[in-house]
Amino acid sequence: MKTIKEINEKIKKGEAVVVTAEEMIKIVEEEGAKRAADYVDVVTTGTFGAMCSSGVFINFGHSDPPIKMLKIYLNNVEAYGGLAAVDTYIGATQPNEDPDVDIDYGGAHVIEDLVRGKEVELYAEGYTTDCYPRKDVNVKITLDDVNQAIMVNPRNGYQTYAAATNSRDEKIYTYMGILLPEYNNVHYSGAGQLNPLQNDYNPETKSFNTIGIGTRIFLGGGIGYVIGEGTQHNPPFGTLMVKGDLKQMDPKFIRAATMPRYGSTLYVGLGIPIPVLNEKIAERCAIRDEDIEVPIYDYGTPRRDRPLIAKTNYKVLRSGKITLRVNIDGKEIEKTVKTGSVSSYKMAREVAETLKQWILDGKFLLTERVDTLGRAEYKPMKSPITLVKDVLSKPPITAQSNISIMEAAKILIKHNINHLPIVDEYGRLVGIITSWDIAKALAQNKKTIEEIMTRNVITAHEDEPVDHVARKMSKHNISGVPVVDDYRRVVGIITSEDISRLFGGKK
Amino acid sequence: MRKRIYYWTASEHINEPVISDTILNTGVKINILKAKVEPQEAFLILELFGSKETIEKALDYLSKFGEVEEISKVIKRDSEKCVHCGCCITQCPINAIYMDEEYNVVFKEEECVGCKNCMKACPFKAIEIIE
Ligand code: SF4
Ligand code: SF4
Repeated sequence: MKTIKEINEKIKKGEAVVVTAEEMIKIVEEEGAKRAADYVDVVTTGTFGAMCSSGVFINFGHSDPPIKMLKIYLNNVEAYGGLAAVDTYIGATQPNEDPDVDIDYGGAHVIEDLVRGKEVELYAEGYTTDCYPRKDVNVKITLDDVNQAIMVNPRNGYQTYAAATNSRDEKIYTYMGILLPEYNNVHYSGAGQLNPLQNDYNPETKSFNTIGIGTRIFLGGGIGYVIGEGTQHNPPFGTLMVKGDLKQMDPKFIRAATMPRYGSTLYVGLGIPIPVLNEKIAERCAIRDEDIEVPIYDYGTPRRDRPLIAKTNYKVLRSGKITLRVNIDGKEIEKTVKTGSVSSYKMAREVAETLKQWILDGKFLLTERVDTLGRAEYKPMKSPITLVKDVLSKPPITAQSNISIMEAAKILIKHNINHLPIVDEYGRLVGIITSWDIAKALAQNKKTIEEIMTRNVITAHEDEPVDHVARKMSKHNISGVPVVDDYRRVVGIITSEDISRLFGGKK
Repeated sequence: MRKRIYYWTASEHINEPVISDTILNTGVKINILKAKVEPQEAFLILELFGSKETIEKALDYLSKFGEVEEISKVIKRDSEKCVHCGCCITQCPINAIYMDEEYNVVFKEEECVGCKNCMKACPFKAIEIIE
């Protein structure tokens, strides 16, 4: 048994034994947890990945005459204006207001530019009062010009992050990177055996051995603190809320990124020292990639509860490929696909190494936590959901491809509809024609349904959320989508009128 | 062996089957990675497969009708920007990107066909494809 005080004394004398969590694995394997606990004083951990829930409080100092800022923009990225006169909070994922710049420059990029010492343009507007007569201000500032720039990240350092794949027949663009169609890749995130919360976890009590409020940490290349549990904290999916001084940070460990067609995010380097106070702590610090279970979810299903495709671990994920059992077109098949990481293990290592060096150099002392992390809570939002089956027009009006164009036109008029799904003898969808197709057939002198129908039909499923179908329609610029069952039989149709009626009725 | 080249043909040869003739006359195999034909000039990126001699013969032959420049690299990665995350790895159709044992993301540059998938996937805009 050791105390943090004793460890700090050793650090000051330059006698502490400090190893990274990776090195600890070997030590415990070779010498056992008991011996490791005897002589190892600190284990350093690290992680480096996309942490969307990050941002910075900035105090700009007062202008002359003073202004009470309400709408605040930094390089065209809006920052929160609901604080006191010259304070703001800029979040990493806030997109640029300028449509020409789009999502390629957001809050995260402003933060990185500040850390790099670059000039950033501040534009702010306010309403005038007796003490704040100024209406707007437009100046260039650097990190040196502002008073405080305090990074406060509400949710960082996830203990485990689920991996992602995609069942759809098209690429999707997610915060886990680009997911290829038909389960053709798996993307994962997280430092696994180097992850701070993972190395400090006690699975029996579902709590953390040493990390708590007041734990001094490595944050973005500077010194920071854990200030509590993060949002959505729910061990073994624990999270941390952390703070640090942006003015101390290093652009190597604070990096702005843009997930393609998703948005901006901040890659944050975060490292936590774990004091090896006893054998139990030593043992947990030897956790390996293969010991950490990672679920793989289907991000192709745009629902909160995504289907679980498989369970794996970080060792398999880091091998570069994985074999999945998946269902494609109703057939169960085995498929070996590539795995790719979204976070950087190389940089996580560098974080753990840097923190280790700080401690060895006597520059960084450990702190005793003042309290444990707070309550675990992770529950879904109570939000209404409308599924396709709630709004679809039934029964479906369909036709077979052997009818004439004239007959098709009559059906459209008789039922006052614009879309006619064409089906085979079993009712399975083979194409669709619209009133526009019929007009075109007349103009171009086409004779048969086969000639004019669209064959690659975008479809919907009864259990799909309406919001998803609305997005499909606007993406493909169409106004109606046949609804099909698992056998591609048409069970109805959903049109943009159905959807607008729905939203119109609600208001 | 394999060699990648940029190839410009002068306008008077645009209507001639220069590439086919090169293949027939020298026995080299050619993959056309890019071709842009305009009235005054044609620009191509070619990949030649064959023995050292056949490739040399092919280059000689091609030089008669235009200008040849060897490409050593198609991908350019900014090592300052790249954090070795790995978002690009699964996007490469020919497995030219992988993670090594030290967790570096490595590009086998000689295999790249310039499809740009990795470039589009990189969250840090660290990849440039030279055209
Ligand atoms: S996606 Fe970009 S930053 Fe990540 S490894 Fe590839 S080149 Fe490097
Ligand atoms: S450009 Fe295409 S082929 Fe070349 S490395 Fe990138 S993904 Fe692979």
